[in-house]
Amino acid sequence: MFALLAAPTFIDSLLLKFFSEQTVNYVIWPFIQIGLVVVITTGWVAYATYLERKISAFMQARLGPMRVGPWGLLQPIADGLKLLTKEDFVPENADRWIFFVAPYIAVVAAFIVMAVVPFGPDWAVITDVNIGVLFVLAVSSVGVLALILAGWSSNSKYALLGALRSSAQMVSYEVSMGLAIIGALMFARTLSLSGVVTAQGSDSIWFLFYQPIGFAVFLISGIAENNRAPFDLPEAESELVAGFHTEYSGFRWSLFFMAEYAAMVVVTAVATTLYLGGWYFPWVWRLEAAGYHNLYVVVSLLVFLAKAGLLLYLYFWLRWTLPRFRYDQLMDLGWKWMLPAALINIVVTAIGVAVIQGLNGGGRTIDQVQVSSGLGLTATGKAIAIGFGIVNLLLTAGILSLINWRSRDFNLKKQRRQIRLVDLPKGKPAVAPVSSESAV
Amino acid sequence: MPLVAVPKPTLTQKLKRFFMVDLLKGLAVTLGFNIGALTDRDAVAGKGIYTEQYPKVRPDVAPRFHGAPRLNMDPETHDTLCIACNLCALACPEDCIDVIPMDVEVVVAGKPRRKKVLDEFIFDTSRCMFCALCQEACPTYCLELTQDFELATYSRAGFVWNREMLEQGRETVKYKS
Repeated sequence: MFALLAAPTFIDSLLLKFFSEQTVNYVIWPFIQIGLVVVITTGWVAYATYLERKISAFMQARLGPMRVGPWGLLQPIADGLKLLTKEDFVPENADRWIFFVAPYIAVVAAFIVMAVVPFGPDWAVITDVNIGVLFVLAVSSVGVLALILAGWSSNSKYALLGALRSSAQMVSYEVSMGLAIIGALMFARTLSLSGVVTAQGSDSIWFLFYQPIGFAVFLISGIAENNRAPFDLPEAESELVAGFHTEYSGFRWSLFFMAEYAAMVVVTAVATTLYLGGWYFPWVWRLEAAGYHNLYVVVSLLVFLAKAGLLLYLYFWLRWTLPRFRYDQLMDLGWKWMLPAALINIVVTAIGVAVIQGLNGGGRTIDQVQVSSGLGLTATGKAIAIGFGIVNLLLTAGILSLINWRSRDFNLKKQRRQIRLVDLPKGKPAVAPVSSESAV
Repeated sequence: MPLVAVPKPTLTQKLKRFFMVDLLKGLAVTLGFNIGALTDRDAVAGKGIYTEQYPKVRPDVAPRFHGAPRLNMDPETHDTLCIACNLCALACPEDCIDVIPMDVEVVVAGKPRRKKVLDEFIFDTSRCMFCALCQEACPTYCLELTQDFELATYSRAGFVWNREMLEQGRETVKYKS
């Protein structure tokens, strides 16, 4: 274990014999990091499929994959080999180039976000982009473009319907997803993902407690962005065969599959970073203080993976609990519930931050304001922020029920109440009663 | 006049919907099954795993289950117990049994006699409905429907069992557990 931790310095000294220090620091190490992250993410994705199958099986009183390896642990590898050897089928009159390129767009969009996710402190971060959150939002929504392109180019009605649904779904969650993050950023005072984690670490609190509404809205939008049940309208296997990837087979299909799981991993990672404290965990910093730097990084990495894994489990859990939302229900949820909730969250959080800053005479609520390491709240300040979070919950609930009290039952029920038979005067039955003469 | 009468929700229903009680109930059900699968492996409490690992683990069939037919033999001499009386063929409602006897010359009390013994026994399992009336009819407890249930073959002809198959049993691949 410790030999493994000593390895980076050894490789570093080995590389310095062949390359200059700049080359090693800015070219070779990043490539090693990227390679590691790609490998780890791929492994994570593969075993996310395994876990999904196992957990779904357990929830249905089944066993799941059991035949390949002990407890079916080699099943992802067997699946991968099978998909690699299958025929790569292109439908007639398909838009060939777009059809070929779409899966790669999906995979790249999902994997590239991993570059800015801080898996841990120090060397577990590949790049610390100072607009990391914006980067994540921008790149992960490119994945939807891949779905639209795939559906459009397939020359199949099911795929096209899936793509249409995907594009309509995108506009209804993307806005509230972006707005939900803003509340957390007000406390973090930075867009860098590492900065967000540092802010939570210096406050020793998770932003989940300040931002319950923001977390809920972000998570729901994230599930919608990943096309996971209950929002898997673009796939909708019971309605649209397989939705946008109906016509894909073999390796290209597996790329879409990988993209879906990688996007899930990304959203859980970003949600962990923004709301669950990222790699921060109480008392882990003592390892750093005791001089075990690499061990500290590894433990932080494991903390991060554990938190993201919990959220991933939530994904599976929701998928096997909830039935699919109807198309208009998703629109309803996105525009009438999540968007107002995100907006209210921003306003209340802004007021909260202003109140905390206003009360700060003599350092009662804020320790010291630093650039890019959060607000640095004292205990009083934290209590006020958490209080605002709870008030926010109640206020949002109230306002949402006020907005939606007329459309509480989704539209169809409302319409059913008002269905009347057309072209008939009121009070007369629709079918004329059969008279006694004609019956004889 | 509304075609479908949709009742307005009561206050309790509204509160339930507001706090998402049904969603939480559903989550509790799935979580209960997930925990049950990890703890209660033999589905004792009704929430464990019901799947049988079939080729590795043989299932327990019901005690009155009737499966593959068998012709029993004398355990010491390995002579067949069948006396070719044809009662099983007569009892069979599906007419799927053919008992083919042959005559042999035997000497009983110093006098030559002819005797029917079993030559060939044809049992068509594709027509059999496993009612075990043949087993009931057998006077020597020779024909018996065992609890073996692996009767699938690759061809229709494979369903017709001859005397050797009935006496020795059919060879199937046995998986190691």
